[in-house]
Amino acid sequence: MFFAKYLRRELRHRMRQAVFIALGLALGVGLVVTVSAASAGVKTAQSKVLSALYGVGTDVTVTGAAPSPPKPGQAPPKGAQLIQMGPNGPETCTSSGKCTSMAGKTQENVTSNYAGISASKMAAAARLRDVAAAAGGITLSDTSITFPKSDPDALPQPVSYTVDGVDISDTSLGPLSSASLTSGHSFTAAESDSYVAVVDSGYGGAHDLKVGSVITIDQAKYTVIGIVSQPQGSNPPDVYVPLARAQAMSSVVPTDLKDEVNTIYLTAASAADISTVSKEVSALLPGTTVTTASSLASEATGSVNSAASLANSLGRWLSVLVLIAAFAVASLLTMAAVARRAREFGTLKAIGWRSRRIVGQVLGESVALGIAGAAAGVGLGFAGAAIIAAIAPKLHETTGGNSGQVASGSSGAPAGARMVQIGGNPTHTVAVQLHPSITPGVIVLAVVLAVAGGLLAGVIGSWRISQLRPADALARVA
Amino acid sequence: MYKLTGVTKLYQKGRRTVPAVRDLSLVIGDGEWLAVQGRTGHGKSTLLNLLGGLDRPTEGSVEMDGTDLGALRETRLTRLRAESIGFVFQTFNLVPTLSAAENVEAALIPLGTGYSARGKRVAAALEQVGLADRGAHLPTELSGGQQQRVAIARALVKDPKVLLADEPTGNLDEDTRNEIIGLLERLWRERGLTLVLVTHDSSVARRAQSAGLMNKGRLTIRRAAAPPAGPSARS
Repeated sequence: MFFAKYLRRELRHRMRQAVFIALGLALGVGLVVTVSAASAGVKTAQSKVLSALYGVGTDVTVTGAAPSPPKPGQAPPKGAQLIQMGPNGPETCTSSGKCTSMAGKTQENVTSNYAGISASKMAAAARLRDVAAAAGGITLSDTSITFPKSDPDALPQPVSYTVDGVDISDTSLGPLSSASLTSGHSFTAAESDSYVAVVDSGYGGAHDLKVGSVITIDQAKYTVIGIVSQPQGSNPPDVYVPLARAQAMSSVVPTDLKDEVNTIYLTAASAADISTVSKEVSALLPGTTVTTASSLASEATGSVNSAASLANSLGRWLSVLVLIAAFAVASLLTMAAVARRAREFGTLKAIGWRSRRIVGQVLGESVALGIAGAAAGVGLGFAGAAIIAAIAPKLHETTGGNSGQVASGSSGAPAGARMVQIGGNPTHTVAVQLHPSITPGVIVLAVVLAVAGGLLAGVIGSWRISQLRPADALARVA
Repeated sequence: MYKLTGVTKLYQKGRRTVPAVRDLSLVIGDGEWLAVQGRTGHGKSTLLNLLGGLDRPTEGSVEMDGTDLGALRETRLTRLRAESIGFVFQTFNLVPTLSAAENVEAALIPLGTGYSARGKRVAAALEQVGLADRGAHLPTELSGGQQQRVAIARALVKDPKVLLADEPTGNLDEDTRNEIIGLLERLWRERGLTLVLVTHDSSVARRAQSAGLMNKGRLTIRRAAAPPAGPSARS
């Protein structure tokens, strides 16, 4: 076909310029693809984080109020053990001033991460019209600290693990909902009140626990009946026990949770009802914290959020600017090429070519460059996404309250004494790897942008030649 | 073939108005060979542009076979050039990226001629100008004389009524010039074309049937056409 032959010959004739235009378009388009891929990857990472923190099937989580960290000079929470570093090392003292040395001893505390919610309040939440399912749970932290016999000034770090009391009558909600059993078995109905535990595979591996092992929680021995693993990136509890056993733990700080839960997991009737359920629960249970995926996203901090801002603001603007520059360069170069060919086009008009045909030829050349730019741009985009995937560090997202910490000074303690709070309300930090993803939609967008850029350049470049009279065009010096 | 009546063409150069052709009246018969001489800038090429419909007169009329070219719409004019008028330029004006055969073929594209028919006509046109074996060569691979032959083939492949040649030998050496003029003369005789040839070369002008002199936009016919020696002119 003459059109294609002429097009091919002309582009080959000005190969350098054609490559320059195509590369410019490719750069702009490649940046758009890379930024879109990174943005999509960050969105995926965010949703992975949120579902890891949130669990599968749970639309709304209700938790009791979180305890505040101790301030210097403040009395410890009820049930908490005040250990001070005296002149002879760590010691615990009664209100009457009698002190006992803690050197060489271990102090264990089980802390409730949230205030309790009564069974009746939980039942009321479950009866809400837009709630499809409800399950209660207890989230605890078991913290122990072992004081050395010698070196009285040493301040040992507490060792914590998390314990979740699970409603075994309905494990489709709550912390076990997305777990996979790797050995042993999960809780049975007969074990609802037994001293049995299921252990997370990560925690079990670190502590050499297997089915049949025995662990101590709140000075009671629990037999491990199963090992489970959770999806990658999630932050699961270390140990699961039946809810009844968690409620029966007597030394929970600040207060035990008999007949109570401190977390309610709710499933809304539909995705559209989540917001309604959230409002209804907040009104029904004032003082609790009601969390949905979107509210968790807004309070989350960490590199996932930073990456999202970077991709959405800087990345997007940069790719728009580069695209505009690429379009401008393509247009200018096309105009220059067309101006150089004025006599050629004048001759074609003289031998009977209509302006429309000549414009079509120029547009065809520009679109061909646009297509070449699109192909190269998509390739560049894939390369950019691969580079990001290879070099991007793991992203972290953190939500939650405080962790066990050291504060200086205490009420009634000798000057220079330090106070240690054992246990606390741990933060949840989830790590995910960024995997940029290029969707078919982004590829189509890239092709459209590059072809549009080529078309724009062709229209601008050929407009003048279509207006030129043949006699004037022929008079131009080549 | 042509009847020009009181034709004037004015160009605007900034604030100045430049008359390229002034009040020109002329009749060119079918099959006539008219050579137009004159110095550079005296309106020879402008006259050719008006005859070819590449430009429109400011005043007067240019009629071709009874049709006023100045009154035609651009699309109709373009169609007329595609079908009936062939051009040969001083600088050959071949498309540099197309081969000799493709340059000739370009003249058939506006006529919608089919692929195989185009091939045959192109081959015949190149044969007529003695370049049957040079069809695949690019213009840069041809000599000046060969390029002008390709341009002549391009002008004649569509079997036009009129051939307008603007200084066709201006860029050629003497021997090649004679070759090209000889070729044009032969084709004029064989096809019964109406040929209007612009030249500043008297030896070329002498070979034409009739000759005129353009001087400051006015044409003076110095030698009127004698009855043609070859086949009768096309009607």
